[in-house]
Amino acid sequence: MKTREHAPRVGAGAKRGGGKTRARGAAALAAVIAVAAAAGCGSNSTSGSPSGSATTNKASTVTDTSQCGTKPGVKATGTRIPLGGIVTNQPGTSFTDIANMASAYFTCVNNNGGINGHPIKYYIETEQTNPAQVAADANKLVQTDHVVGIVGNTSIIECSVDHSYWEKLGYSIVDSGIAPECYSTPNSSAVNMGPRYSSDGAVQYALSKHVSKIVFDQSNVPGTGYIAAGPSALAAAAHVPIAQLTENVPISDASSVAIKEVDAAGPNGAVVLNFTPPEALVILQAAQKLGLENRVKLWGCSTPCNTDFLAHALGPKWNNKLFVNAELTPPDSTNSPAMNLYLAILKQYGKAVSGGVGSFSQMGFAEAEILIHALESVKGSYTVTSVNSAIKAVSDFSTGMLCQGWTYGNFPMHIPNNVDYTVTPDNGKMVTAQGCTPISAVDPQIAAYRKAAGTG
Amino acid sequence: MPSWQDFQPFIVSGLALGGAYALSGVGIVVLYQATGVVYLAFGAVGAMGALIAWSLANAGTPGWAAWLVCVLFGGAVTLAYGMSFGPPLARRDPLVKAVATLGLTLVLFGVMDLLWTTNGGQSRAITLPTDGGGFTVGQVQVTWTQVIGLAAGIGIVVVTEVFLRHTKLGTAMRAMANDREITATLGVPVRRVEAAAWFGCGVIAGVAGLLLADLVALDATTLTFLVISSLAAALIARLRSIVVTFLAAIAIGLIHDLLTPIQSLTNYRDMTPFVLAAVALLVLPRDPVITRSREEI
Repeated sequence: MKTREHAPRVGAGAKRGGGKTRARGAAALAAVIAVAAAAGCGSNSTSGSPSGSATTNKASTVTDTSQCGTKPGVKATGTRIPLGGIVTNQPGTSFTDIANMASAYFTCVNNNGGINGHPIKYYIETEQTNPAQVAADANKLVQTDHVVGIVGNTSIIECSVDHSYWEKLGYSIVDSGIAPECYSTPNSSAVNMGPRYSSDGAVQYALSKHVSKIVFDQSNVPGTGYIAAGPSALAAAAHVPIAQLTENVPISDASSVAIKEVDAAGPNGAVVLNFTPPEALVILQAAQKLGLENRVKLWGCSTPCNTDFLAHALGPKWNNKLFVNAELTPPDSTNSPAMNLYLAILKQYGKAVSGGVGSFSQMGFAEAEILIHALESVKGSYTVTSVNSAIKAVSDFSTGMLCQGWTYGNFPMHIPNNVDYTVTPDNGKMVTAQGCTPISAVDPQIAAYRKAAGTG
Repeated sequence: MPSWQDFQPFIVSGLALGGAYALSGVGIVVLYQATGVVYLAFGAVGAMGALIAWSLANAGTPGWAAWLVCVLFGGAVTLAYGMSFGPPLARRDPLVKAVATLGLTLVLFGVMDLLWTTNGGQSRAITLPTDGGGFTVGQVQVTWTQVIGLAAGIGIVVVTEVFLRHTKLGTAMRAMANDREITATLGVPVRRVEAAAWFGCGVIAGVAGLLLADLVALDATTLTFLVISSLAAALIARLRSIVVTFLAAIAIGLIHDLLTPIQSLTNYRDMTPFVLAAVALLVLPRDPVITRSREEI
């Protein structure tokens, strides 16, 4: 566990005296070459990564970060408001960018007047998909750090493990959801749509293009049945056959996976992927190498594919061929005050946000925005009760990052982000292919939420 | 059950993958023969070399120079490890030697996770010029990279066989495989021979890393653990026969990919190397090379 608070000779050789000096010399030289190569590449790995950096620099000149708070340039010195978040951070899966972006926003707020003069203290706990550890993290945040609000949670299992705990203690969590419980329980409300509803969006777009069949392929991990239920419902309602596939990850035979998908979809069908960007990339690249990209009508992907890294790696052959569901407003085509503030904060305070401009940092920004909005509405002292009541009272709040206003509300379930974009690669960048479109209420969970929220 | 026509594309992809596994498997066997070390860091070394090549290419370095650095990195790291840890571990149990290379794997894996993070949706790919071209067999598209994958596997077997049988250094390596101490007393410079074996194995790791980064994925986790398939092929050959290693690797690649279109088995295809290695170890007669114990040494 990490807390952001603390961040800011054995005998055999004796017989071989003859070649010892030369051998050691060779080994030393080899080590120097290896270390030099690795060091050189470490620095290149950041600068060489494709991203919307040009957009970042241009836009960030429009808005400066003094707009974070009500007293530009004045550091908040009052009593600290402790907030916490739990994120997965393990080899191959890291969501720290989301919490780090929220932290960047809070730092900006603290440097510009704070919340009515009070600085926010944000504690970030990291976990490695260990239920006991996740439960202990929640316990620590409550009992040791005495946090009054939970924001920025992004974990593969946190919602499943902790939701009862939060409900019992009266915390209303603002998070980025992954597990079903992030959307189906009363005390968790996410700014993103998560894998199921994002897959719904991708399938919905494919169906709107009148494909004859859907092949929906996703990682073979716990929860696939829950995710698959949404696309299945949409395809059934459109009377289009759907084939559900799963792949063990990491994928070691992308060529055969791509062939299997294309064969199953047919020439007028669509292949829709629900994988992390690296896994989706290997499938799409394998398809391209084998000339399969045009053997189906279109390719679709849930939100994780919405990165310029992927668009850049794929190249122009996928322009208007791959359509990716985007849960958040595309930064490159938006010049709103909120988007400019996001870019400015990212530039000035977001050194720890390794992915730069993208969905993850946008989620962190939106979650921090919501918390700041809620905290500013608190009258009196900042307690668990007052802060979480304020969070729950957030209604139709414009984050600038979503298609519609964000509402928490006193509902048994929460899917406040249920209207989305579709983007497509355009010579190394993702651009908007379709504007805000509601996710179909054919998915019974979407229908249930809209009914509960009174928006259906 | 899919038709024969449905299986054809999977034969091509399976052969290419098998060829790349063979490349790694042969490297493991040659190093084991010369030094007694089962080199579990093979995949991690190749992965890091490939990531370095990707970074260099992204920074504007010509492709050929980046690939060369990848190969040399593999040779340099492996040589450095072999020269630093080989002598102290020379008299230890084979298991200890293997576990020590696991340490190197973890170190490299950690460095890769630190330098080439996947945070924020970062994803990378190596594209070789040979990806663009190719030919069609029936309705199956074959890329030149897939041809190279298979050819590299065959090539490494032929070259290694010729090297071991017809060169002085190769003869010295075979002698060391039989008895290291006697070979040393006969005046063979064992350290130099070992160094050559370590460096050669590292170079093969670099080449395999580059090929697998293109054929499979440029991802630290994926490439690091792909060594399992190659190791299974080497175990089927009892860490001894290069030709059997090659054939086993091809079989693993083929069976793995041919299971893909079979709906009921597709999610179990990743078990292929384990199942084949387990069957081989149970069915084939025990071999003195891989059962050699500390007492015997």
